[in-house]
Amino acid sequence: MVVGMARTIRNALSCARCVFWRSIVILFFDMSLAAATSAVRADDPPPSPPALSAYCQVPASDIATPEPLPHLAAALENQKTIKVLAIGSSSTVGVGASAASNGYPAQLEMILEKIFKGVAIDVVNRGVSGEVAATTAERLKVEVALEQPDLVLWQLGTNDALARVPVEDFVETVKDTLQWLKDHQVDTVLVGLQFTPRAAKDEHYTAIRNALRELAVSENVLLVRRFEAMQFIERATQTNLLSGDDLHLNDLGYRCMAEHIARAVIVSTFLLKRPH
Amino acid sequence: MRAANEIDFWRGFALTSIFINHIPGFYFERFTHRNFGQSDSAELFVFLAGWALRLVVDSRNAPLRGTALVLRLSTRALTIYAAQILITMLALAIIAGASMAFDDSLLLQWNNAQDAFLDPVPTHIGIILLTHQLGAFNILPLYVVLMLGAPVIAVLHRRKPSAVLVLSLALYVAALVFQINFRTWPEDGYWYFNPLTWQLVFVLGFVLARDDGPGVFVRRYFRPLRAIGFALVVVGVVLAAIDFEPDPTRMPDPKLFFVFDKTFATPARVLHFLALAIAFGGSFALVLRVAAPLARFLSMLGRNSLNVFCAGSLLSLCASVARYALGDSIVVDLSVLICGVACLGATAWLSEWRERFAMR
Repeated sequence: MVVGMARTIRNALSCARCVFWRSIVILFFDMSLAAATSAVRADDPPPSPPALSAYCQVPASDIATPEPLPHLAAALENQKTIKVLAIGSSSTVGVGASAASNGYPAQLEMILEKIFKGVAIDVVNRGVSGEVAATTAERLKVEVALEQPDLVLWQLGTNDALARVPVEDFVETVKDTLQWLKDHQVDTVLVGLQFTPRAAKDEHYTAIRNALRELAVSENVLLVRRFEAMQFIERATQTNLLSGDDLHLNDLGYRCMAEHIARAVIVSTFLLKRPH
Repeated sequence: MRAANEIDFWRGFALTSIFINHIPGFYFERFTHRNFGQSDSAELFVFLAGWALRLVVDSRNAPLRGTALVLRLSTRALTIYAAQILITMLALAIIAGASMAFDDSLLLQWNNAQDAFLDPVPTHIGIILLTHQLGAFNILPLYVVLMLGAPVIAVLHRRKPSAVLVLSLALYVAALVFQINFRTWPEDGYWYFNPLTWQLVFVLGFVLARDDGPGVFVRRYFRPLRAIGFALVVVGVVLAAIDFEPDPTRMPDPKLFFVFDKTFATPARVLHFLALAIAFGGSFALVLRVAAPLARFLSMLGRNSLNVFCAGSLLSLCASVARYALGDSIVVDLSVLICGVACLGATAWLSEWRERFAMR
């Protein structure tokens, strides 16, 4: 019923003495296993982004405009484990997927582990569905402090649009929170609004969507444009990415979402290294 | 029907601001007291629940003993549980109805509802077990747990009164240090209101309600304590105005002692609430003098708090639907506020009318 055990154990392990012993252990393993399981080294060529599945094909420009993720890149060079905090509203939770392992955080974890060989990716899922950005922002700082992630994936906008949260309030909340994350050297990826044909015609929905897009540009933050990507797939393939009553992403939809996010993250991480 | 009194008045105040706070993006939300300090009406509501429990346990007329007391408190927990199930089902129907009426499937995500529609088999079990809670419908599950614990508090209080607060504090500290909270299921998460920490707010209401134990101390040193309370409230207003919040990443371990966090009712929030309570507690007489209708109206809401709370939760949701349909404008929000508060009043009035009718 009650468990913060994992956290407790981790906290216990992070005591100064344990850190010392752990570093001895890591050093030992590093020496013996360096060749086999190295982290992503600075001089390695950047890995290519994973190919998208047939159903998830979307022009790269519809997914995201790359923005550098310097802290994640540094962490990939120096750490064996990368922690990703997935926070925000409904699709983070994975409802509508046939099993928890088919939700987007679990799939993202698998894709990233395949690309960043030798690095364990730990996606911590703190999604609370139906939440507006202001509510997420309230708990985000404490979650960051407790989880100490190398990357934050923040899914937002859909519920603010539907609750008719004034656009300027939404922008202010997101802007302040992004600033805080920047100050704390946590790279952030924003995951944008959901797509439905009806939402495409909704004025306030469009206003929030545009505001988020402008904010991502002005703040130089990576925004995965879910709405555009899903709209493209639906139009191009007539595939129903929304399960049952078209409410939620089904397993394939989660697959595409995970692939799109993974692609955007990988391209962005090595943005500074890739020859232009 | 009892006369307007302080406890009912503040309860009515809490119920009104809970109704307002549960409408995302609502214009009038900026005026509720959570924007002027670190705690909000949830602390007030839970504290007053603890206070009311003490009045039942130490009733001056005919104090209940043993089994009768335990039964009375447990059946109260059952009533609150039934209310929670009822409003959860009504809320699901409101969300489903709105989604059908406006032909918008995205509405089904509201208030953490979509699990009930898309993954109904385990979610229905979760609703019954209180481990699946709709967003903004998570105070009553806390209240149920607290009322289930109430017989323990009552018995302990009869046997060894001084142990109540000590044990409560010990549990609170342990939950903060080890970050222990109740889990949600089938969704993998934690309760929005952690019963293991919020119980302290409840127990504080319980022990301060009468003039013995810590209650004596507060009453004996009321003036200096009230001065300190006022000072803390002013500090709270200033901190809120400059948007100050301790940076959780820079706090030493155990971090939860130093951050502002609602789920864990962290010490800063509890302290701020106690400051508010002592600064404004006792001002009911003044309100009754200068604004008698307001004092009577809020007291009426407070006298029927469970019914009004349930109505308020559903009205907040209806207000969100109205805002969705009509858009974000001050005219809409003002109408929502007036209609909402009128409906809260009507709920209380009807509850009392029914009681009077039953007594005839």
